[in-house]
Amino acid sequence: MSDNIIKVSGLKKHYFDGKIKALDGVDLEVKKGEVIVIIGPSGCGKSTFLRSLNLLEIPTEGEIFLEGVNIADPKNDINLHRQKMGMVFQQFNLFPHMTVLKNMCIAPMKLKKMSKADAEAQAMELLKVVGLEDRANAYPAQLSGGQKQRIAIVRALCMKPDVMLFDEPTSALDPEMVGEVLDVMKKLAEEGMTMLVVTHEMGFAKEVADRVIFMEGGVIMEEGTPEQIFGDPKNDRTKEFLSKVL
Amino acid sequence: MSGIWDGISAWAQGMKEDFILNFVTENRWKFITTGLSNTIIITFLALIIGVVLGIVIAIVRSSYDKTYGEMRKGFKKFLLWLSNKICELYLTVIRGTPVVVQLMVMYYIIFASSRNSLMVAVLSFGINSGAYVAEIIRSGIMSIDPGQFEAGRSLGFDYKATMWHIIIPQAFKNVLPALANEFIVLLKETSVAGYVTIRDLTMGGNIIRAATYSPFLPLIAVAVIYLVMVIVFTKLVNILERRLRNNER
Repeated sequence: MSDNIIKVSGLKKHYFDGKIKALDGVDLEVKKGEVIVIIGPSGCGKSTFLRSLNLLEIPTEGEIFLEGVNIADPKNDINLHRQKMGMVFQQFNLFPHMTVLKNMCIAPMKLKKMSKADAEAQAMELLKVVGLEDRANAYPAQLSGGQKQRIAIVRALCMKPDVMLFDEPTSALDPEMVGEVLDVMKKLAEEGMTMLVVTHEMGFAKEVADRVIFMEGGVIMEEGTPEQIFGDPKNDRTKEFLSKVL
Repeated sequence: MSGIWDGISAWAQGMKEDFILNFVTENRWKFITTGLSNTIIITFLALIIGVVLGIVIAIVRSSYDKTYGEMRKGFKKFLLWLSNKICELYLTVIRGTPVVVQLMVMYYIIFASSRNSLMVAVLSFGINSGAYVAEIIRSGIMSIDPGQFEAGRSLGFDYKATMWHIIIPQAFKNVLPALANEFIVLLKETSVAGYVTIRDLTMGGNIIRAATYSPFLPLIAVAVIYLVMVIVFTKLVNILERRLRNNER
């Protein structure tokens, strides 16, 4: 297994007894510290792929190894493995009935039995990193979209995950707020976090990604460095897609 | 002028006599107070049974709705299917029959050997209320954005913990007005407890009426007491509701 933190092989997700094939055999290996950006037209399966990595979608077939353990196998406790994979959603999904601080502390306190003081100290430190320490006692409804997403990112980081999954983290944001969220993600990438990012932000992909993956029809059509994909795409479908979005 | 005054004074005198006849003579007011305490006991205990039953059923039903299609085949899946079927049967029967009939079935058939009519009533009203509470809470659970559930699971919470820490608190807040309504309905529904020989508030008023042949004061008194209880309760719920909402803004 060497230095692969994630290894996916033959991942399939079918609906209605195979009439719809959201994923149709995806293979991928991710090295520790790698930043992978997944692009593709809507409905290509990129979100489904990301969501099946932590089993929010149960794959129909295939294997997902996280640090050498096949988490797609029902025998393994998915709840433990999800703690190692932080996820950030398009719609933020902060818990509206809790303050920012409580949002960030509840999982470490309940799942890792961290003391309240330790959890809050950790949360405050992370809030400082994203410049929101003054909003610790605010409720999500009092925050802007960009603030919500930054909180959502640090909430996931409170569990000290080994991998971070981002499912279109900036798609629901007003344009002027996209930058603040991407900055946090960039910082995270520089610190060596392993990241898989589904996004339409091609600038971010060019700048931060170690590898770009183009998906269509539930399979990986092409993958390579940002220079290869954006500069010299081989696949016709990739070319067509990029010509529309760039 | 003096004619009107005499009229009012005569009416007041009549009322006073009526009051004494209905409530003071032979300590008849005790029918009202013991009736009130029975009504409160039945309502309160039935409420607890109803809420507990309701939450359990709501969780079974919404778990079935949310996860059954995605579940892997096996014993757990069968168990969920079976529990859901039992809950559906319960809801159909309880919601499909009048509470008076349920009460009499419990008292005269199922617990025919029991003399504790009060506890039979508590159980009947609790089981009845549970069906309505279940559907109220289920609607609350289903109204929460699935993203909340996914966020909880993605942090590593299991299904139960996600329900408990994330979904139920939000659902509860959303359904509080509907739950309060169900409580008011329950309080007033207990007025049929007299069918199985329980001296509740309504029965108390009725006993006085039958003894004095003077229906006005006993029945109005009973009505006013129900009304005051509902008004006080509604106020309390409003305060709670406002406090829960304030949290978020």
